[in-house]
Formats: sequence, C-alpha cells, structure tokens
Amino acid sequence: MPEFASAVFPGAAPPGADYFSVFNLPRKLALDTRALEQAFYRQSRAVHPDRFAQASAERQQWSLEQTSLLNDAYRTLRDPIARTEYLLRIEGVTAGGRGETPAQVPPELLAEVFELNMQLDELRAGDGDPQLRTDLEAARVEFEQRLALVDGELARAQDEWDQAVEAGTGAARGASAARMAALLDKRRYMRNLVREVREALGATLGEA
Amino acid sequence: MAYSDKVVDHYSNPRNVGTLDKSSSEVGTGLVGAPECGDVMRLQIKVNPQTQIIEEAKFKTFGCGSAIASSSLATEWVKGKTVAEAMAISNTDIVKELALPPVKIHCSVLAEDAIRAAIGDWKQKNGMAETEAAAQPVATTA
Repeated sequence: MPEFASAVFPGAAPPGADYFSVFNLPRKLALDTRALEQAFYRQSRAVHPDRFAQASAERQQWSLEQTSLLNDAYRTLRDPIARTEYLLRIEGVTAGGRGETPAQVPPELLAEVFELNMQLDELRAGDGDPQLRTDLEAARVEFEQRLALVDGELARAQDEWDQAVEAGTGAARGASAARMAALLDKRRYMRNLVREVREALGATLGEA
Repeated sequence: MAYSDKVVDHYSNPRNVGTLDKSSSEVGTGLVGAPECGDVMRLQIKVNPQTQIIEEAKFKTFGCGSAIASSSLATEWVKGKTVAEAMAISNTDIVKELALPPVKIHCSVLAEDAIRAAIGDWKQKNGMAETEAAAQPVATTA
C-alpha cells in the first residue's frame, strides 16, 4: 500500500505539484482508492478554509487554493480512466503519442463510427423501420463487447506501465504510454457510440 | 464557454449538409476524426474535371458545435475555388473567422484535414500523383 502524506499542513503541496505528488503517490496507475479517499479527507481537513477564517487574507487564499487542488486531484485520481488520461498528459503523451495531429484512430473505425451515427440519426428521425432497430441493437451489443476488449487491453497496458515504473525502464514506459494513448482514443469513440445507441434505443422505446 | 455568433449561426443553420455520390470520379470524400472528443467529420467535394473548380461541397459531422461550424464554413469556402486554392485554406483562417477559443482549435484542424483528405481522395481517383499535403497533413497551429 502506498505511503500517503500524513498531513500537507503547513508545508502542503508546492505550486505546480502534479496530482500524484499532492497525495505523495508514485506515478503508477494501480492505486488503492479507499486509501486515496482517506488521504483526501485527512489532507482536506488540514487545509480547510474554516480553519483559516481568522487568518490573514494571504493564508485564506492559500487555504482555498490547496482545497481546490486537493479536490481536483482526488476527482481525477479516483477514476481509473481520468487517472490514466491525466498521467499521459503530465508525461507529455497525447493522442497516439504524437502531439496535435488528429486522425490517430484507424480509418475502419472512423467509417464504422460514421455509419452508426447515420443510423442513429435515422432512428431519431423516427421513420419506424423495425430493421433499423434490430441493426442498432446488434451494433450496441457488438460495441459493448469491443469496449470491454479495449478495457482489457488497457488494463494490461496499465500493468505494464506500473512494472516499467518499478523497473525504471524508460523504453518500456514509452511503449506502454503510447499504447494506452491509442487505446484511450479508440475507447472514447466506442464509449460515445455505446452511450448514444443506448440513449437512442431507450428514447424510442420509452425504456431500454 | 460562450460560442461566437458565427459558430451559433453555422451550428443552428448549417450550410451544405448532405451526401454526394461517393462512387463518382468527380467526387472526393474525406473522413476524419478527432480522438480528443470523439468527433467524426465527412466532407465531400465535386470537382469539375475541365476547370478543376469545386462546384459542390457537402458535409456531415457528428460532434460539438465548433466541429459542425468549422465543417460548415469549410464547405462554404471550398465551393467555387479550384482544388489548388482549396488546399491553401488553413485552420487558422477558420479559427479567425469563427473566433474559436483555444480549446476548440482542434475542430478547425479537423476541418482542414477533411478538406485535404477529400482532395486527396479525388486526386487518387483521378490518377494524380500524390504530392505534398494530403499524404502528410501538417496542422498549422495558431
């Protein structure tokens, strides 16, 4: 179990501290969310604005900033996907590992996503074609399965990252970071699609 | 975050939404996506083989208001231009016209990529040698 900072007060997080260091955690992706929650509450109490009601304006401001940093850090780290996205960002890895250039997603996936969106539009337009519903139901099941597969691959890449951090191997870190970035890109499309298909099917049936 | 009037205008009243015949040799299709937000954008052009002028442009975008506005504007701009002129449209022009905030600049990059992808597809169909941009779209950052 990671060693959490017993208290941030009075030193607290240095300016520009990343969310992992706020909780004195290594930059690893497996983390104990119960322990994180406890550390969040403990550290929040230490810097809580109520404790500084009589303090100088400067101190009050500091307390607010620390509280808000703790909140952001906790919200980001408690969610495994947000945690991974954040890690990649502070490691300087974005979409597919190559910075600003879009279109990292495989063209076949783009075409599929586009077609499915067209079908969703038709369904929403409501011409009541029963075949369309059946197709979309099938697509929903398929995309949910593929989303689960991507999540499985992502979990493996996260493990690899953690192992590379422990072993201190830079190349392995880079490789798993790039893999995670590509998987997250894919995942974003699929998650949006699954949500929209569910919504569209639910909305036209009353309840899915 | 507030959208500019021009974004709202293009979003609520998008120009040139639709589809062109993908199989026609005069039509080029560009399908691009932005992983950051899960947007997909399809932009199609119909080119007059004699004059190389883009006579028709259609788009269909699934995404945020800025992505829809960027692609709507892109179709307006490419229409009436030659293929070479359309290649010169840059995402920074779109950013300026729509007053896109920094977090939405990738929407304009996507629209620029869509134009280039559509032109690239048209060139490929018509046996024109791939030269520069379509193979290697380089985003000009604002």
